[in-house]
Order: sequence, then C-alpha cells, then structure tokens
Amino acid sequence: MSIAIRIKDLEWKYENTTEFALRGVNLEIEEGSFLGIVGANEHGKTSLVMAINGLIPQSYNGIYRGDVQVFGKSVRETDAVELASQVGLVFADPEAQFTAMTVEEELVFGLENLGLGLAEIRERLEWAAEVTMISELLDKSPYDVSGGQKQRVAIACVLAMNPPIIIMDEPTSMIDPLGKGLIFDILRKLKEAGDHTLIVIEHNVERLVPLADQMLLMWQGNIAKLAPTRQFFEDPSFLIERGVLTPEVSEFAEWLRLEGYLEEGTPLPLNLEDGVEITRQVLEARRARA
Amino acid sequence: MTPLITVDHLDFIYPDGTPALFDINLQVGQQEFIALIGQNGSGKTTLSKCLNGLLKPTKGSVIVEGLDTRGRGIIKQLVTRVGYVFQNPDHQLFNRSVWDEIAYGPRNIGYSKEEVKERVEEAAHVAGVHADLFETHPYFLPKGLRQRVAIASILAMRPKTIIVDEPTTGQDMPQSVEVMNFLRRLWKEEGHTIIIITHEMRIVAQYAQRTVVLGQGRVLLDGTTREVFAQPEVLRQTYVEPPQITRLGQALSDYGLPRDALSVEEMKEAFREVVS
Amino acid sequence: MIATATTGVNAAPARVPKARKTLLGHVPIESPLYQFHPVTRLIMFIFFGVIPLFIYLPEVNFLLLWVNMGIMRWGRVNINELRKYMPVIFTVAFFMFIVVVLAPGEDPSYTPLDVGPITIYYQPVFFAFAAYWRLIAMLFGTILYFSTNRERDMLVAMRSLRLPFIASYVVGLSIRSAGMFLEDFRTIREAEQARGLDTKAMRLRDQVKLYMMYLVPLFSIALRRADEISNALFARGYTLTGRVGGGGKRADYIRAQYKLRTRDWVLIVSMGLIFVATAIVQMRFGVFSIEYSPLNIYLKQLLGIPG
Repeated sequence: MSIAIRIKDLEWKYENTTEFALRGVNLEIEEGSFLGIVGANEHGKTSLVMAINGLIPQSYNGIYRGDVQVFGKSVRETDAVELASQVGLVFADPEAQFTAMTVEEELVFGLENLGLGLAEIRERLEWAAEVTMISELLDKSPYDVSGGQKQRVAIACVLAMNPPIIIMDEPTSMIDPLGKGLIFDILRKLKEAGDHTLIVIEHNVERLVPLADQMLLMWQGNIAKLAPTRQFFEDPSFLIERGVLTPEVSEFAEWLRLEGYLEEGTPLPLNLEDGVEITRQVLEARRARA
Repeated sequence: MTPLITVDHLDFIYPDGTPALFDINLQVGQQEFIALIGQNGSGKTTLSKCLNGLLKPTKGSVIVEGLDTRGRGIIKQLVTRVGYVFQNPDHQLFNRSVWDEIAYGPRNIGYSKEEVKERVEEAAHVAGVHADLFETHPYFLPKGLRQRVAIASILAMRPKTIIVDEPTTGQDMPQSVEVMNFLRRLWKEEGHTIIIITHEMRIVAQYAQRTVVLGQGRVLLDGTTREVFAQPEVLRQTYVEPPQITRLGQALSDYGLPRDALSVEEMKEAFREVVS
Repeated sequence: MIATATTGVNAAPARVPKARKTLLGHVPIESPLYQFHPVTRLIMFIFFGVIPLFIYLPEVNFLLLWVNMGIMRWGRVNINELRKYMPVIFTVAFFMFIVVVLAPGEDPSYTPLDVGPITIYYQPVFFAFAAYWRLIAMLFGTILYFSTNRERDMLVAMRSLRLPFIASYVVGLSIRSAGMFLEDFRTIREAEQARGLDTKAMRLRDQVKLYMMYLVPLFSIALRRADEISNALFARGYTLTGRVGGGGKRADYIRAQYKLRTRDWVLIVSMGLIFVATAIVQMRFGVFSIEYSPLNIYLKQLLGIPG
C-alpha cells in the first residue's frame, strides 16, 4: 500500500491568535484506508484537515512550518484546481457550502472547474447523485431541501469530482437522526467500493466506529493517540478525560472487565451487536453456574 | 398545581398553506425538564414557537399562565413568562455590548433603571457571564460564551419557562456537558421549567425528566423519559433510537436487564442486581 | 403515565406541488412557455419592459397589460397570486394622482375643472393617467418574467448572451445571498419579538432606528458565512482567475441542456421587428402620442375643451 498523505512536523498558527493550532503533527495515511478523527473542539481537528486539502495555508494567513504532501507533492506548491481534484472536503454546516441555484448546478460547478467535457460531466453527475440518493432533488434549490438532504448534496458535489481522498468534517453534526443514518450509509458504500481514502471527523463515535480502520485523537494541537479502531477504544477513560465520547457499550464492557465479569484482555465491543453478545455470554455463564 | 402552559387541540398551518401541527394537547407544569424530540419537519420548532406566542394557533389554543397567546398586544407579558433561546446565537445578539444585550429585554418591557441593572447583574451571574465582559461586543466572544450571553439575555426577563433550541448542536462533549449542566442548575436550583429541542438521545436520557416525541406534526409519545425510551417500536416510526445502553438492556431483557436504563451507571447497578 | 397517540404517523396530507418556489414567489412546474429557450424569455422580458416607453396611448398600454395577463394564463401562472401586487398597483395610482391634483404645475393652456371645493386641471391629470398605464404595463411585463422564470433560467440566458461566467456567477451568488439575508432577517425579528419587542406599538422613528440595529447581527452572520463560502469555493477548485483544470475551456453543462430552436428564432425576430417598427412609427410619426388617444379626444369633447 502506498502512502496517500504524509504530514511532517506540521506547525500552524492562525494570525490573530496566540497559540499554535497544530504543534508538530506527524502522520502518514495509507491509500484506501478509512481514518476516523475525534477530539474536543479547538484542539486542531479542523485545522489538520484544512492543512491536508490546502486551505491552510493557501486561504488563511498565519505561521506555517513543516510540510504536507498529498501523493508525494507538497500542498503548498499545488494550486486550487489540482488540489480539488485530489482532496475533497465536506464541511459541517451544509448551508454554507452552496453557491448555486439548483442542486444540479451545484454539482456541475466543481466539474466545470476541473475542465471536464459535457459527456463526462453528465456521467459523473448521474453517478454521484445516485450514490448519495439525491437524483430526485437535482432540479430543486439547495436551500429548499432538508438539512440531511443538503449535506448529501454537499457530499455528492465532492464525490462527483472523484478525488482519491475524501474528507468530511463533522458531516452529521447539524442534522437529524434519519439524515445521520443515510450519511453513514453513503460512507459505508464508499468504504465497500474501496476506491477512496476516507477521513471523517465525527463526535458521533457509535456510528463511526464500525467503519473506521484507524482512529486518531487530536489533543492540544497534536496527535494524542493513533491506533487501529479496536485498540483505540481499549482505554475509554483516557478518551473520556480528553473530551471524547466512547460507545456506551465499550464503557459498560470496560466496567464488566474491571469488575472481573469479563476476562482480563477480552477485547471491548465497539457496536451494539458485539456488546449484546458479550454481555449475553457473561449472563449465560452466570446462569449456568447458578 | 395549575400548569404553566396548556396546549389545547392546537393546529398550526403556515401562512403559505404548509400544515405543521395537528391536534396537539399538552400541559407543561412547574419546574419540569422536558425534551422535545423528532425528525426535522416533525413540528418541534413550530410547537415551541407556539408556546411563547411567536406563532399564533390556527385552531385550538395555547394558554400561558392564564394568558391566551392569541390576545392582542400581549407580547411583553408573554416574554416574561416563556423565554426562547434560538439555535444560532448570532441571530439574537444585536446590541453593541454584552450589557446592552442582556438589558435589552428588561428595557423593552419597561422596567426602571435600577430594576434593569439588578436583573442584568443577576442574569449575568447565573449564566456565568463575568462582569469584565459587559463592555465587550458580543460578536467577538467565542461561540460558547455567545450562547451564554443569549441565555442570560432571556434570563433577565425572568421567565418561568425557558425553551432552548438545540443547545448542543455542533458542540463537543465537554461543551455539551457544560451547557446542559447549566440548564440543569436553572431547573433544579432556580426552579425554572426547561424545554430543550434536541436530536441527541444521550443528552435526553441524561437530563430530561420528561420527553415528548413529535412525528409529522402530532404527539406520538409523551411521558417520562424512561417510559418513552422503553417504547423503541413507536420511536422507530420517527427514526429515533434510544441510547445504545438502553438498547443493550432491551436486547437482553429476557435475562432480567432493564428495558429503560438511561445511562451506563444505571446499567451497572441493574447488572449487579441481576447477577447477585 | 404515558400517552400514546393512536393515529399513524402518515396522517399528514400529502400535497402535489404545481409550482416551484423562487425568490419572488412561485413559478409553475410545467408551462407551455418553457418550450422557449431562457434567452428568448429574457428577450421577451426586455421587449415587454421597454416597448411601453414608446407608447403614450393608455388604450394600447391597457391592451399590453391584458396581453401579459393572457400569456401568464397560458403559461399556467396562478393568477390568484397576482393579488399580492395589488397594493403596489394602488399605491402607485394614489401617489401619481395626488401629485397632479395637489401640484399640477402652471400652464396657461391647462383647463381648470371644478370638482366640488377643489380645482383640478384636465391636462396634467390625463397625462398622469396615461403615464400610469405605461408604468403598469411595464410592471406586468416584469411580473410575467419573474412568475415564469427561475434564477437558473436567468443565469442560462445571461450565459447564452456570452456574458462571462464570473459575471453570471456573481449575479447568482448575490441573488442567493439576498435570499439568505431575508431568511436571517426574519429570524432576527423573531428573536427580538422573543425579547419583548412589539413593533406594532412603535413610533416610526424608533422603527427606523430598529432597522439600523438589525445591521449588527446581519453583518456578523454575513461575515462568518463569507468565510465559509470562500472555503467551499476553494474546495471545489474554483480560482478567481477562472482557470480550469487541464487549461482548456470551461464547459457549460447547464446551458448545454437548452437549445435554441426555430420557434425561438421566430419569436425573437418577430419581437425585434415589432419593437423596431413601434419605435420608428412613434419617433417619425408620433402615432402613439397622447393626442391620438380616443379616450382623450372623447373626454375633451365631453368637457368642451378645445384642441
């Protein structure tokens, strides 16, 4: 597997702030992997992903040290068009990402920027709309659809540009439960297709965990923990102290382990099904003994 | 005890003809902590705006502490009874300084200078807005503080009921905990009735005493949070899922685990009892 | 005690939309007008908007108004919605006539007429009457355009007229921001009401002051949003230079979906011809001048006004 993103000693301070937002981040992300990022607000999550898609330092002023390379090329030396064709970024607020009058124009805008021909634009437009389940909405104004639909439109816009790397910054934080579910469905499809390197920032770990290969915790401008997902949640207390919610079943199973109901070294469950299974086994064992 | 707010057979249709609420019946009592949940478009925001008179019923009535919200010229009386905190603090901060912001409501109602001062100081204190900030322009405050100023500006009118629209949206866990603990203090210690609109079931489970579930403009469930989360089938109709730990208990209720546990702590207790 | 509603969740009546929302109201989803290219429709707008400038005859402008209405009817516009323009129509009439009655100006050729206690002058009143119908004809031309065209049609038309991409894009973005601005404005007003502001009970001077106050939140929201939109543009690979990837020409996908057909050319050419003919006939021969108005001639005879 080759390396898609390589971050070396990255430091970044926004102008007008006193503290560095990123303090010497080193990170390598493999092509085709799914990385989940968690962490409290103001601890550098968004700055980190903006440094990957080049918004930092190209659209912000500040102090920049170190380097970020996407497919071996430094983002500082890559222009907006080329970067957009390599790294797609979906923002938290679906409302703020729209510039056009209809959903269709919204999707087409990025494709036209890439300099594609009409036939290819049509093909990609239809594909992206289908994957994100918005084909019915193409004719509508992006402002007249629901929050969840808006966010799917924003994802479709990025998807249509077909960048090998797709980043989503809290894609579900502003939408309702139904909308959240559909967005994670899209993420699942993308992961199964395996054509993209996916990076997702999310407070809602319960839905993220089943998908992520690796998890990363940002804390005070640096990486506090980076591990394969299962290992990452082995120590829920460490995460909770740093302002991160862990799946409730992991928290519960950690307690079961602490109290000796579960054997030392039993891996913690990350989703409801595994949690139910593990707890059931404990209860069955007790029942058998009784 | 007489309820603070009585909603009686309320229908609401927007002026452009979009129907939003159908036959809502609801009573809000003294010192309650209520969560209003449901999908977008289920009528949560519309209902809460009907409660404080921002929207007038199309049919039926909303009575707030004896006042019919349809009455003319009663805005000033209503806002001292039901406060409404908007989701985006930027929409409700329109003054040049934090002091003016908090004083805005009391001045509108027409209190004397001394009374305004007293109310501002009290509200700022309760909301944790330090006096050093009084001269600052709200625009330059960080989002968490802007939200506090917004809440303080509502508290200054001393309404018994406070409605907060999505208090934790876009916030991380420590920030959510902070704002929710603050609301809990207003409820427990100051005796307010708090109504939150939210999509976060963990928050609902942890803080709300009572939960009202709306779906397509109707009340689907109304009861204690515990009772409501014990009905996953009804909740599913409106795509709401109880917290993970509650669902764990429901999946294993055959073994004696509770169907209505609201937190990991409760589950631990229940588990101990089951195995002992 | 838990209360469970007995009714199903799907009880809300479903509505089949016949119209689509735009910033200025609604446009029909299907309309025979849509068989014409957006650029034809834009030219039609200019045509109906400009032609009354050459026509002083109130009768002809009145006719134009009905032509506009007829096209709207044919174009499946909900005529009931036109009611919302009534206040404008009456206010304009009121002010125009109030002005000529109270301040008619002085001219020895004016004919005074006594109406009860006040004296009015025939010529300026009739002139105002004619000018009014001109204005209304133009207004209906505008209403016709905005009741049958969406922002998108306008942009396609602009691009078809070879305006640079950035120009139409900025127009689009401004229309969009205007919409968001209005939405924010509404929320802010609600937030003020929630703080005990009763605008109905306010004096005009205070209301003006209030509007100044709105600027604070409106601009802080706009500033924060501008930042986000520029990030979104960057993330889509948009550069202000308009350079596109591969260094080639920018494709215009949306515009490419529309084709100018024979019927468009026929309509555009006929409108052009009518326009030129009207202009020439009026400028050379003054055919549409006010003195040829049958109504004017009849009234003058009736009132015994010479010439």
